[in-house]
Amino acid sequence: MASNPTANGDASLAEYDLMLKLAPHLDRHLIFPLLEFSAGQVVDEESGDVKDEKKAREITLAKYALLKKTNMTDYVANLLCELEGLKEPPAEFADRRQKVFSQLEKYEQETSKITELLERDDVVNSLRSDKVANLEFLKREHEVTIEMVDALYDYGNLQYSCGNYGDATELLYRFRVLSTDNDKVASATWGRLACEILIMSWESALEEIQKVRESIDGRLANNPLAQLEHRTALVHWALFPLFNYDKAREPLLELFFNANYINTIQANCPWILRYLAVAVITSRGRTKNVGIQQKQMKDIVRIVKQEWYEYQDPITKFVYALCIDFDFEEAQQQLVLAEEVLRSDFFLLAHADDFVDSARHLIFESYCKIHARIALKDLSARLGLNKEDAEKWIVNLIRDTRLDAKIDYQEGTVVMNHPPSSVYQQVIERTKGGFFRTQVLSAAVGR
Amino acid sequence: MSRFFRGGDDSSTESSSDEEELYSGSEDEAEKKEAKAEDSSSEEDDDEAEEDESSDSDTGAQKKGLSRFLLDQDSSESEEEEIEGTTKVKSAKDKRHDELEATITVIQNGQKISDWGSIANELDKLNRQVVKLQDARGKAPKPYIKCVAELEDFMNETIAKQKVTPKKMNATNARGLNAVKQRIKKGNKDYQDQIDAFRKNSDDFMESDEEVAPAPKVPKVRFHEPTADEEGDDSGFAVVGKGGRVLEFTPESIFKHLRSIMESRGKKNTDRLEQIKIMEKLNKVADTPYQKIRVLMTLVSARFDLGSGGAASMPVEHWKAAEGELAALLRLLDTEKDHVVIENAEEWDDDEKAPTIAEGEKYLKIPGSIVSYIERLDDELTRSLQSIDPHTSEYIERLTDEGSLYNIIFQGLLYYEMLRKDASLEVPQESLNRIIQRRLDHVYFKPAQVVKILEENCWKEVPSNVNSVITPRTEQNDASHLINVLCNYLFENSDGIIRARAMLCQIYFLALHDEYYRARDMLLTSHLQENIANFDINSQILYNRTLVQVGLCAFRKGLVYDAQNTLQEICGSGRQKELLAQGVMMQRYSQVTPEQERLEKQRQLPFHMHINLELLECVYLTCSMLLEIPLLAQTGSSPDVKKRVISKTYRRMLEYHERQIFTGPPENTRDHVMQASKALAAGEWKKATEFIHNIKIWELMPNTDNIKSLLAKQIQEEGLRTYLFTYAPFYDTLSIATLSTMFELDTRKVSAVVSKMISHEELAAALDQVTETVIFRKGVELSRLQSLSLTLADKASALIETNERTLEQRTQGSTNAFSRKDGRGGQRGGGQRGGRGGARTGGNTQRQAGGTQFTGGALGAAVRG
Repeated sequence: MASNPTANGDASLAEYDLMLKLAPHLDRHLIFPLLEFSAGQVVDEESGDVKDEKKAREITLAKYALLKKTNMTDYVANLLCELEGLKEPPAEFADRRQKVFSQLEKYEQETSKITELLERDDVVNSLRSDKVANLEFLKREHEVTIEMVDALYDYGNLQYSCGNYGDATELLYRFRVLSTDNDKVASATWGRLACEILIMSWESALEEIQKVRESIDGRLANNPLAQLEHRTALVHWALFPLFNYDKAREPLLELFFNANYINTIQANCPWILRYLAVAVITSRGRTKNVGIQQKQMKDIVRIVKQEWYEYQDPITKFVYALCIDFDFEEAQQQLVLAEEVLRSDFFLLAHADDFVDSARHLIFESYCKIHARIALKDLSARLGLNKEDAEKWIVNLIRDTRLDAKIDYQEGTVVMNHPPSSVYQQVIERTKGGFFRTQVLSAAVGR
Repeated sequence: MSRFFRGGDDSSTESSSDEEELYSGSEDEAEKKEAKAEDSSSEEDDDEAEEDESSDSDTGAQKKGLSRFLLDQDSSESEEEEIEGTTKVKSAKDKRHDELEATITVIQNGQKISDWGSIANELDKLNRQVVKLQDARGKAPKPYIKCVAELEDFMNETIAKQKVTPKKMNATNARGLNAVKQRIKKGNKDYQDQIDAFRKNSDDFMESDEEVAPAPKVPKVRFHEPTADEEGDDSGFAVVGKGGRVLEFTPESIFKHLRSIMESRGKKNTDRLEQIKIMEKLNKVADTPYQKIRVLMTLVSARFDLGSGGAASMPVEHWKAAEGELAALLRLLDTEKDHVVIENAEEWDDDEKAPTIAEGEKYLKIPGSIVSYIERLDDELTRSLQSIDPHTSEYIERLTDEGSLYNIIFQGLLYYEMLRKDASLEVPQESLNRIIQRRLDHVYFKPAQVVKILEENCWKEVPSNVNSVITPRTEQNDASHLINVLCNYLFENSDGIIRARAMLCQIYFLALHDEYYRARDMLLTSHLQENIANFDINSQILYNRTLVQVGLCAFRKGLVYDAQNTLQEICGSGRQKELLAQGVMMQRYSQVTPEQERLEKQRQLPFHMHINLELLECVYLTCSMLLEIPLLAQTGSSPDVKKRVISKTYRRMLEYHERQIFTGPPENTRDHVMQASKALAAGEWKKATEFIHNIKIWELMPNTDNIKSLLAKQIQEEGLRTYLFTYAPFYDTLSIATLSTMFELDTRKVSAVVSKMISHEELAAALDQVTETVIFRKGVELSRLQSLSLTLADKASALIETNERTLEQRTQGSTNAFSRKDGRGGQRGGGQRGGRGGARTGGNTQRQAGGTQFTGGALGAAVRG
């Protein structure tokens, strides 16, 4: 996989391209969409012409290297033809193709019985939640052997390798129901996760993520290194649903901010911070729970600061400038860069606009918090809008966020009103929970 | 007649010391008369050497003197007799003899009443006296011999009795007895032959000198047999020790000699120097590799025995010799591949014939431990360095030996690697670990250039076809790589303390080479701060050193906060010297036993490994200043902020400094920092910078200018913050531009600093973008009642929290009631008490408990899961 090229046309952006860093933690098949995306970047959108011949070739080469080991022979053969300029794929591909087909057939035969069984209602109905008992039952009643179950696994593996993700996930699911081999079940779970991601069925992908997570916490509990590696992989794989499925956002952010996973990110793959930062910033206003979003924001700021020495890119630089240095000009500059980076990132492309908008809000919010009076002209420049738009934007903002601010049109300023928090208010604030907490306490003591 | 003689002599000495010369002159004449051949210089030598004749033997001497005339003519008489002859009665000697006699009487009296305390004292005195009374051949006076021999017998008897009777001696007596035992053993060694002669036949011995005895004396001395058991071992030695018997050192007899030497090893009355000499000779005659290896090994260990007494270190020349011999041994082992020295080999019975390689065996296994030799050699060098004044050239000279020691360690490592290649030898992993640890110990605290030189030298020493598996030759130039490889090897192959030490060494090295983040992360990952207290003291010292080095590294990076936090533990205690093993603290309320003190002295690091304490203090105080001064300004203006103290030590110093009525110009580092603090507190950042820059010790840091400019920048910023804190109550608005000129910072920086303070709610103010000013909000100052009620509210909630925690501990978190409450706390955390609420509900209590200032116990927690 070392042959993966940095796929971006722009040289300055290339250094922020994470392809090389992400790739080692992803599966072959999961890298493929990323490469496709890179290839798409090279092609001019309107004319459909290839902008950079060399780059395109590099990408094709990478694709070939990537898929050579899989069983998607037809596609690989085509790639090779494209690369070498051949009309006919070499004969070896035909051979391999033949072999793959024969293998498929063989497995199909082997698994046909069990598949059949599992489709019969009376069999399925008599299955319980106890795996061992199930297996016993099938052995007794229908002469199912362990080998047959394992064949399901191998068949699933082969299907996956051929690119038939839908079939693969089905097979692996059946295998998992029956098998008692923990290691194989774990890898079947990973396999299913990959399949679900590739056929973009995010709901079940989420379920699989949850399963994988449980197995990491449970099965690998006494192997910290493996835990670390698996968590790293899970974090990477979870990026697919995180940015493609809105409902996944909340549970996945919760996963990412879990102490174990945040530690994994800090220790092993700080580049994930980019995605995390974008996810947190864009989830502004989406989540129902403002408190959690604020807390996550605070966490991300803290972690960006901690990992500053190890990882920097325009997105984290933006966060740093805004929330740590309070250098608004710098933040503005970084935001421009960050937008470019977002637009060339496979995961973040769709969220670029969203991010820019949320980031503007963020800038404005903290700007208002600090300033008492802001020149409208200046602010519009800062937000990268013209004066009219800026005015509208601010009015909307004031309305939305219930900021205590007013526009003084004559002077051309926005005036903020920061009411000093009253001492009385503070005392009330601090003692508010006391009664309830004491009650809980006394109840707990009484128990 | 002797009376008469003596009387005259006595008077001559007693008169004055001047007369001594006169007397010797006059004696010359007498001598000339008697011993014509003697020249005056030898005469005087004799005089000083003071013959051993006792006063009793005056008559004998006289007679000898007479007979001498006869003998003189007969030139066949032995030389020694002549000398004895010349020792006529001399008054100074006589006096000493009298004293000797008196002492002997006291000892004999002491024996009668078993007063060992006084015997010990007197014996000391006796030994001193007898030195002066020895003759040229080292013969002690006879009464002395007699007394000592009797005393020894008596002592043995007492000890024997002591064993049978349960009654204990009192402490003084017991101590006396022990002292006597040791002295006798030591002393008797020197006069062994004489004592033996005495034992053989005491009457004859005593008489021998009264008659014309010298002639039979010689054979008597040569011919002796062990009379007491104790002498048994020694007798073998004595035979050899007579010298002049090189003939005996034949290759065949080597093992016999070695055996006898080995047997006498560790016994008190062996003359190690003598043994070493013998072995040096044996080494020359040894011809088979086996013999050579055996001799070298015994020789090296004998040399080490020289330094085994208490705190005294091994003599330098012996150290050097041992080093040479060890090198020779390693070379030999390298060429003779079929001979191996390993710890788990069987002892050979080699008295009769040398062992040969048995059938089917690949190696001739010789028991021994190279790694122990090397470790010992290393320890001895350290001990010697500990005892030498580091400011002398001697220290430097001694330090150069480290290079050769390093070579030995390296060669030892190669040797063990070679042994490890053959699995059949079953060389324990531990030996290799130990030697690698030693190698690491010699490089970890050194700058990369120095390590490089060391490495180059040691590679030069070994033949070019030899290579190391663990540290290949091709990678010799990169010191950090070397450290990394050594440490990784130890991580993989060892556990417990060695592993922890390897980790610390690597962190130390990284910190020394400005790799702050890597060092810090490793330190946090290691989780050593949690269990370092269970380790041995030397590892704790290493930990402290590492911690300090990491702190200094953070400082060099300009990370003031981290530096202060890291150094706090060591420097805040005020016991840096002790904690770093760079000096023993003065014990004011002395509760240390001498034993403890001795141990502590042994632990001290040699000077070249020291971390400069003054620099350390300077760094610590400067960091504390940069953190404390703004804090003081902040708390000064608002009473409700909890009185947070970052560094107690610094505060104390500052208070002391402020109490002074008159402060002169700063003299030492501390003064400089304190005056800088004062200036900074008053907003005079330029003055503060000047004070800090004037500290001389910065020169010791690499990149001084860089550090100074970093510090200047920090002082500017902190000055600005301090200024704002201090003077905010007196302003309504402040222009950013003014601030920017005052502190010579650009406006962007100033507004960033102000924004930060506003955002963190440290400053009740807001910025006005149009006029570029800071507007301070009024009415935020609280009345006394208000601030008190705030404090009360805080305390009340703290109380609730404590109660909750107590209950939680009691119930071990089994009550679910609290999870709900924690959720609430977390939500509220977004509000006012964000920092605290957030941290508490953050779910990573372990990080907090660890007390890591770096907050990034990340990897560790991940690894531990």
